[in-house]
Amino acid sequence: MKRLKLPQWLVLLMPAIIILSAVVLIPLLLSLYSSFTSYRLTRPDSLFNWVGLFNYEKAVTDVKFWAAFGRTVLLLAVALNLEMLFGLGLALMISKVTRGQRALRTMMMFPMMFSPILVGFQFKFIFNDNVGLVNNALQSLGITDTAIPWLVDGNLAMFSIIFAEVWTSTSVFGILILAGLYAIPRDPLEAAKVDGCTPFQSFRFVTLPFLMPFIYIAMAIRSLDVARAYDIVQIMTNGGPARRTELLWTLIGRTGYVDARMGYANAMGYVSIFLAIFFTIYFFKKLTAARKELGMGV
Amino acid sequence: MANNTNHQARRVALKWMHSVGLFLAMMVLCVPGLWIVLNSFRPTVEIMAKPPVWIPNDLNLDHYRAMFGGIGEGSVPVLTYFTNSLIISVTSTVIAILIGMAGGYAFARYKFKFKGGIFVGLMVTRAVPGVALSLPLFILFARIGIIDTHIGMILAYVAMNVPFTVWLIDGFFRQVPPELAEAAEIDGCTRWQAFWRVEFPVARSGVASAGIFAFLTSWNEYALASQLTRSTTSKTMPVGLLDFTSEFTLNWGGMCALAVLMIIPALILTFLVQKHLIAGLTFGGVKG
Amino acid sequence: MAQVHLRDVVKKYGVLEVVHSINLDIADGEFVVLVGPSGCGKSTTLRMIAGLEAISGGDVRIGDTVVNDLPPRERNISMVFQNYALYPHMSVRENLGFSLKISKRPQEEIDKAVDEAAEILSLTPLLDRKPGALSGGQRQRVAMGRAIVRHPEVFLFDEPLSNLDAKLRTQMRVEIKKLHQKLKSTIVYVTHDQVEAMTLADRIVIMRDGHIEQVGTPLDVFENPVNTFVGTFIGSPPMNLLDGTVKNGNIQFADGSTITAPPGYDLSDGQAVTFGVRADNIMPVGHALPRGEHIAEVELEVNLTEPLGTETLLFATLAGAEVQAKMLNPRPVQAGERLTFQVMLDRCHLFDAETGVALKV
Repeated sequence: MKRLKLPQWLVLLMPAIIILSAVVLIPLLLSLYSSFTSYRLTRPDSLFNWVGLFNYEKAVTDVKFWAAFGRTVLLLAVALNLEMLFGLGLALMISKVTRGQRALRTMMMFPMMFSPILVGFQFKFIFNDNVGLVNNALQSLGITDTAIPWLVDGNLAMFSIIFAEVWTSTSVFGILILAGLYAIPRDPLEAAKVDGCTPFQSFRFVTLPFLMPFIYIAMAIRSLDVARAYDIVQIMTNGGPARRTELLWTLIGRTGYVDARMGYANAMGYVSIFLAIFFTIYFFKKLTAARKELGMGV
Repeated sequence: MANNTNHQARRVALKWMHSVGLFLAMMVLCVPGLWIVLNSFRPTVEIMAKPPVWIPNDLNLDHYRAMFGGIGEGSVPVLTYFTNSLIISVTSTVIAILIGMAGGYAFARYKFKFKGGIFVGLMVTRAVPGVALSLPLFILFARIGIIDTHIGMILAYVAMNVPFTVWLIDGFFRQVPPELAEAAEIDGCTRWQAFWRVEFPVARSGVASAGIFAFLTSWNEYALASQLTRSTTSKTMPVGLLDFTSEFTLNWGGMCALAVLMIIPALILTFLVQKHLIAGLTFGGVKG
Repeated sequence: MAQVHLRDVVKKYGVLEVVHSINLDIADGEFVVLVGPSGCGKSTTLRMIAGLEAISGGDVRIGDTVVNDLPPRERNISMVFQNYALYPHMSVRENLGFSLKISKRPQEEIDKAVDEAAEILSLTPLLDRKPGALSGGQRQRVAMGRAIVRHPEVFLFDEPLSNLDAKLRTQMRVEIKKLHQKLKSTIVYVTHDQVEAMTLADRIVIMRDGHIEQVGTPLDVFENPVNTFVGTFIGSPPMNLLDGTVKNGNIQFADGSTITAPPGYDLSDGQAVTFGVRADNIMPVGHALPRGEHIAEVELEVNLTEPLGTETLLFATLAGAEVQAKMLNPRPVQAGERLTFQVMLDRCHLFDAETGVALKV
């Protein structure tokens, strides 16, 4: 009796492939198809109304879409860079502490445990113009006596969202960079000191190159998960005021569920998917390159 | 000599700046969370007071009592949400770990064509934003009839976590020298026994950290859950938070109490495996 | 170029003192080797000179400056590390030129210095490689090159050869010595290998448990060890030590056998002593180069032989203890053979049995 024998690695990978196909790949194909139809949730038969590239054309010519797209890219660029800088600073400060490092490390991880949705509510609360912690504090300290409209003014709302996003995700960078700092061999750092480096130069020429792979891992992990910001934004402003904080994801959610125009939403969804995939692959590539440069193997 | 004193003065100044900076940073990180915890013990009137009450003069368990008793405004069925969350998170984590172990082992130990490509392919599925995925998944689940069920949520979360568990566990299995399993096989184990008796125990901490990660992701997820759950039969706690909001009002105190309930398990788990967590991420990424 | 002075230098970790008030003066252009078993404080001492460890007490001076509180970059030193400490993300060229680049020297000067160093150490063909693509010996040479491009006042070497295999080590030893002859700079070199210490040093500093035991030229410490520790630590094989008491101008060992006491000692009857003799000074009759006028003869049974080609090491029992002896122009010897050995008494040492300190005239 001779059965078809699959290679062992394929057997081992099979469950992963099956579940990902069923829950991610097939729905995505479905949404790819529906993005070429005028599908509306309220009218199931519209799923078979083929409209070709109409949805994509509409998206591409829609100012609201491009505004949201631009804002999303901006938010990601600003947030990721700030998270990286703050994470780096935090990790450096903690690594210099001689006592109580464990406690500090734990405190740093605190925000990581918060559900993004909770973070959204928390900062909606804190930035509330009437009873929020921030305004209360500013007023009690006498810095201002008017209520600052943190979530009502467009620019301030964007700032508040970025603040919340950076607050939750800085610890990811902090932890990984801290791990990187622990892993740096001591010898090259001492050699740099003897070679005449000031502390800043040691950091710039030795520590930072060593940390790069860790920074890229953090970036890669974050880019796998960027859409988390959706939860935060949805709760804090839901794209408002007057769409001034509308991101790709909130726009998709609104178009799909509120307006029930699934086909159009899916077309925009694809754009957001490619955006995420682009970031992910970009950072994985960077990671591999940085690793090679340090001779860490493949 | 002047040079020497100069250096000492700078060292002292730096030390001060360091302490102050660290203190400020920790404040920013911890205060928002502690604020939530504090407010869960304060009556709504005091939270909303204007001018603000800085020193709480009335701490009580009212919000918790309301939450567990299912009484008061809105009467949110918190315990049901908690159970739903627990069932869905634990089950999906266990399944994701098993699948991740198989997949991670395949990547760590076997050589095959398109390995890099398949790996990136798996990873990329994780990058699909929840909102974008929730639309077609909603349609699909509605067709099959697993909308608003535990099964549906578990499936979705397993898929969401598998790429990550594969990545982390792969990294850990790479740390286990292949000679170990070979030695076990020479000592008379089958490949299967060699895996369970030698390789698995060595990589166990990695598996644990992948598990925590998967659990936390499921436990805290909102975008998918908000669309794939409808009623108390499957709503999880993050979705339940919205029950405290209505068109115009927000029950901050009650929400804070539920938030604390959500954070506590996450907090305990993270503390327990803090060390493995860092090791897991770095092994997976840097050395893998 | 500069001298290095250590004055009452102490290193403490918390309450644990690992270096106890060391004094040492190193002359300009001198090659000084700190040697001792691991944990003796030699590396800590070197790192205090480098500025990588804080100095808990006393002063370190380089040239005329007290450098206690200066960071390494202001001490004008360079250092070669045990694990090479190359920067993995830079090419050999960048590694070599790094310190000059940091001090903002013009590019032509850097290029010139790098090429010169590469020439000296035959690294020229490797300049564009990364450290990961080099062999151990090549990495070692890059590490040395990095030290010499700066023309520092003092070179510090921290066990630089201990990661190389035996053959390469011998080769690099010669290169380091040539380098010193060419550069004529002050070198402080740490090793646990007494052969390295003997072959390289102008002066050897032998350390144990955070103390300096003896300072002297290689021949001096070899021929006049101040105590049993130095006697056994310097020289290979280690000096044979036998406990005994003085009796009528002889040394009587535990088993009752005796040997004539070495000349020139002021001994009193009943004094407890340790008798020390190197394998080079106990040789079978007919296979020896008699040294000195006073020779004692003993008949010993050979237990084991180690032929080394030009000579054979013989393990024999003397007064109940195993001693090592040397046989020049060797012939095959069987275990169990009894041979008559000559002991060159002029070259034997007596130490106080209790303290181990040399009893000298």
